[in-house]
Parts: sequence; structure tokens; C-alpha cells
Amino acid sequence: MDLNDILWLSYNDLSEKKVRTALTIVMVVIGIGAIVALTSFTAGVSNSITSTLESLGPTAIIVTSSTNVGFTQSDVASMEGLPNVTNVTPLLTGSATLYAGNQNTSVTVIGISTQGLEQILGGNVTPLQGSFYQDTIAPDAVVGYDVAFPSTAAGQQTITVGQSAALKLAGARTASGGTSSSETVTVPILGILPSHGTSLISIDTGVFISLQAAYVLLHRTSYNEMVVLAKNLSSVNATSSLITTIYGSSARVLTTSQLLSTASSVIGSITILFGVIAGVSLLVAAIGIMNIMLMAVMERTHEIGIMKSIGFKNKHVMLVFLLQALIIGLLGGMLGIAVGAGAAYGLAGLSSGSSSSTTGASTTSSSSFGGGGGGFGGGGGGFGGGAARTGGATFVGGGTTSTSSGLSSLHPAFPVSTILIALAIAVGVSVIAGLYPAWRASKMQPIDALREL
Amino acid sequence: MAADYPVRVNNVTKVYESGEIKVEALKKVSFTLKQGQFVAIVGPSGSGKSTLMHMLGTIDRPTSGEIYIDGLATSKMTGDELAEFRNKKLGFVFQSFNLITGLDAEKNVELPLMIVDMPQAERRKRADALLTQLGLGERLKLKPTQLSGGEQQRVAIARALVNEPTLVLADEPTGNLDTKSGDEVIRLLRGISKSRKVTIIMITHNLDITKHCDRVIHIKDGTIEKDVMN
Repeated sequence: MDLNDILWLSYNDLSEKKVRTALTIVMVVIGIGAIVALTSFTAGVSNSITSTLESLGPTAIIVTSSTNVGFTQSDVASMEGLPNVTNVTPLLTGSATLYAGNQNTSVTVIGISTQGLEQILGGNVTPLQGSFYQDTIAPDAVVGYDVAFPSTAAGQQTITVGQSAALKLAGARTASGGTSSSETVTVPILGILPSHGTSLISIDTGVFISLQAAYVLLHRTSYNEMVVLAKNLSSVNATSSLITTIYGSSARVLTTSQLLSTASSVIGSITILFGVIAGVSLLVAAIGIMNIMLMAVMERTHEIGIMKSIGFKNKHVMLVFLLQALIIGLLGGMLGIAVGAGAAYGLAGLSSGSSSSTTGASTTSSSSFGGGGGGFGGGGGGFGGGAARTGGATFVGGGTTSTSSGLSSLHPAFPVSTILIALAIAVGVSVIAGLYPAWRASKMQPIDALREL
Repeated sequence: MAADYPVRVNNVTKVYESGEIKVEALKKVSFTLKQGQFVAIVGPSGSGKSTLMHMLGTIDRPTSGEIYIDGLATSKMTGDELAEFRNKKLGFVFQSFNLITGLDAEKNVELPLMIVDMPQAERRKRADALLTQLGLGERLKLKPTQLSGGEQQRVAIARALVNEPTLVLADEPTGNLDTKSGDEVIRLLRGISKSRKVTIIMITHNLDITKHCDRVIHIKDGTIEKDVMN
């Protein structure tokens, strides 16, 4: 018997019972939708965090001073002298609020050499507008994209090249060595960087000045952070242990891979939790399909008897029912993927919306953290909000805070493999749920199915 | 010989066992049917006539004995072999029509041809021709629920004939029909048995309609009580 004819018989029966078929499909849609929404959303979060952590390169080791002494040029030299270290970039950072016109924006002041800036930006970057500063004492600033085009101004440019902006430095030292909570300085804006996206160093919300200027503005004579690049991935752990041994408790040493493994273990457990939730809904769908199909088989006992009496073999009857399960799985799977994709974007939208509020909090906390351990702060604004802090809080301690753009760039990930796997699960679960009813149907004896004759 | 007697029933016994209780529904029944014969089987309830029909229809197996249809011994065939056998050699007409409710008249008749992989255009042509011959040319696309009882039974007869079977089994084909429709169906069956040379065996309670049959087999207590040629 031709498969097309069997398929047609299967389809015809499903279309005869539209409501029942639709309800069965809805069960698959819910199960698959949940899986697709949750996995693509967590994959998106995972991608976002991974790209955040990897933006400095997988061999980067961040050394953050936890004392007021900080690092000196000799620290930089000794880091450069360590085996397997290819580059050391010293940074001097602090938190500030930038006033331009009637806008005020939370920013991170980052003192860095022009060479170091190029390194952080990934090399070969030209300013969107204006130019870079020189390595001189002049307090010329290059600002990140979000500083010039703050989201609070709906993407309108609020700072232009050539103007001056007031920086109110938070928690900076005073000239006398004490701590001032409010000192305002004025810096000329020399250039505006193109949008960089998520990064460990808050580039888009950064105000970059030369190291010499930073010494003056922040009243320091030392660095508070070094980005040490190891020669290769296999030397990262040994180098970071060595640095930890050298500085003991006076510095925090973080590697991208440490952060990645912590982040991925958190994401992993969330993925498992979501997977279990989605799996349960799929299991319910499977039981529902089996139940509905068993009822359909009972209901069609008589017709199965007729079909067998006119020559349908066991496999034909089995196929009629299995193909129905397959059709339900396919339709439910495709609709479920669409619904799940929509839901994932909805979740991402919700998270991005909530992130702006949490970002402010994490930036504020950065200044007060001083050098304490970050850890993975959970809390407000759903998972996305939590994730923003995950990347952020760890680096907050050093003053290079998490970026506000962290979650605005959160896109659910839909690799083809996810879609294919979801479809395969939908069809697989339906067909497996349909196996027993189909087998029962095929094993019916025509004499039992046909009570008369 | 097979051509002369397409149906041969040889010492068929059927015993139903239920725990300790054994019921002999058929006791060494033997008879032969000629090609094109229109045969009625009559008998009281529990006489074994339905059991005999099940055996002839190959949807149940004899405890002992053998049934040959077109010279083929049916008792040793597997389930799938029997399905194929029924598809090629047998046609069924039931009291309650037993059409597939989700399919229109034409598709119901096409169903046995689907199983043998006949191309769609050809099987449609055959189904349409047969239905038209049975007076349903205008009703091809109607579903069973849209047809009268008499019309449904004619669709069922078309389905039973479409594979050009050796034997058509009819179980109380007029049981659910009014007298007029019932008469039409009986005339139709008789006409078919003659024009198509198909052997038709029919169970009935209605002795009145047996007068249209060539032969009436009376069954009682699992044995043939009387075998009357008209």
C-alpha cells in the first residue's frame, strides 16, 4: 500500500476531528514552545556573558589592587618579566558622573595610554567623531558611545566634539590624601568612540583620558588595575597562580576562564532547571497525546475492523496511527518553535527593560566596593538583570564596572541545531506517544473489532 | 474443480472454550458452493451461522477442518496473508453498512484498490463506474451520513465488488433497511451474482427473501439441518 495513500487517510481522519486535533497540537506547542523559549533565551544570556568575558581575550588576566597603594611602574615591569606574559596594560580607573547640558550620566573614568586603549578596543579603531588624545598631561577625553548618545536621551547626541564636560568624581582622593565624595573637574571632549558593545572594561560608558591626566584628576600616583596577557591558554592558570602568590591578599586576580567557568556553571544549572520545567510540560504533552490516541483507537475499533476485513495489514493500520502522531508532532513542533521564539524575544525584552535599573545600582556599588570580592549577585529584574550583575559585579570591585549595554545586546540565540532538535523532539515525543496506541490498533483482530457478520 | 467449486468447506469444526466450558459452535460442517451461486444461510440465533460466516470470511479460524477458496487452504495463513487474501478474494456487506464515515462514497469504494497500489486515476475510474452502475453516479462525493440507508448499502456493495472477488459475504444486508430498499438490495445482489459470476453467501432471518436465492442452507445446533435448492 502506497505511503501517500496511508498519509492521506491519516490526514483525512485528523481533519475530520478538527477540535481534537487542534487540542492535541496545542499540547505539543506548549511543550516545544517552552523548550525553545527557555533554551534560546538562556543561550542568548550565555552568549552575552561569554562575549562580555571574552572581549578582552581568553588569555587576559585582570589584576586588581585591593589596597590604596595600588600598582607602580615597577609592578608593571615585574609582571612583564614573568614567564609567558606577552603584554601588561596598566589602568587607573574611577567612577564619576558626567554633566553635559542638562544630561548627567554615570561613567567610568579610565586612565590609559593610547597604546593600551588601542589594545582594549581590539586594535585599529578610529574614533566615530574627533580624534584620540595624546599621552600627555592634558586632560583631553575620549568618551564612549553611550556617553555621547545616552539611552536616556533616546539615542540623541548630547555631547559633541570640542565641548567641555563636567566630571563629578565619586570617591576620589583629595589632594591631601583623604577621600572626597564630590570633586568636579572639567574635561574637553576630543573624540567619541564608535559603539563597542559588551565588554569587561566599560568602554561604551567610559571616559578615557591619558594616564598622566588621570594621575592628576584622581590624585593618584599609582595604577589600580593591570590587564596581563598570557602567551597562550595553557599558560593562563600557571601565570595567574604565580601572580596570586606574588601579591597575596593585596590584589585580586581574575582570569577570563575562571569567570567563564563560574558563569557557565551558573548558566548550566539554570539551563538544567529550565530544561526540567520544559521537559515536564513535554512529558505532559506526551501523556496527553497517548491518551487522546488511545481514545481514538477505541473509538475507531469498528473502523479498524472494517479496514482489516477489506485487506489492511497490521503495518498499514499501525502506519495510519503513527503518521497521525507524526503530523501532530510536526505541526506542533513548527508552531511551538515559532511560539517559543516569540516568547524568547519577549523574555529578552523584559530583561533588557529591567537591566537599565539594575545597571545603575551596580555602577553605584562599584565605587563603594573599592576592591572587595564581587561574586554573583542575584536579585532584581529577573534572570537578565541578575546576569548583568554577574558580569558586572565581579569587575565592579576594580572600578572597571560592568557596562550598561550588557543586556541591551541580549539576543536569544536560535542556532539551526536548536530548531532541528526541537522539531526532532516534537516528532519523536509524538511518535513515541503514538506507538502504543498504534500498536494496539494494529493488533486488533477483525473478529473482535467487528462484532457482527 | 476449483473453478467449478470456488468455495469448499471441509469438515469444519469450531469449538469455543471459556474456562472449563466448551461450546461446539460448528460440528464437522461440509459443503461446496458453485461459481455465481446466490446462497442464503438461515437458522435461529446461536445456531452457528455467524460462526460459519466468520470462518468463510477468514476473520476467525476453524478448530479443525479446512476451507478452500479458489483452491487455497485458508486455515494455515498468517494474519497478513489473510488480509491480502481477503483483499483479493472476498467482499463484505454488513448489516450496518460499515462504511468509513470520514470518507466519501467514492473513497470508500476506492479503499480496497488503494491496498493493491492501483494508480489513483484508475481506481477512481473503477469506483465511479461501479457506483454509477449501482445508481449512485450523482452521489460520489457524499459522505455516508449524507446518504440514505439503501444508498449506503449500495456503496458497501460497490466496495465489496470493486476488487472482483470470488466470494461476497453478506450479513443480514437488509436488516437495517425498509422493505423497499431491502428488496432493491436483494435484487441487486442476485443480479450481481449472475452478471458477474460471483458467489454470494448471505445470512438472513427473513425467510421471505430466501425465495430470491438459488440455494438455502438451514443451520441448527452447529450442523446443516437442510440444504434446499430453489
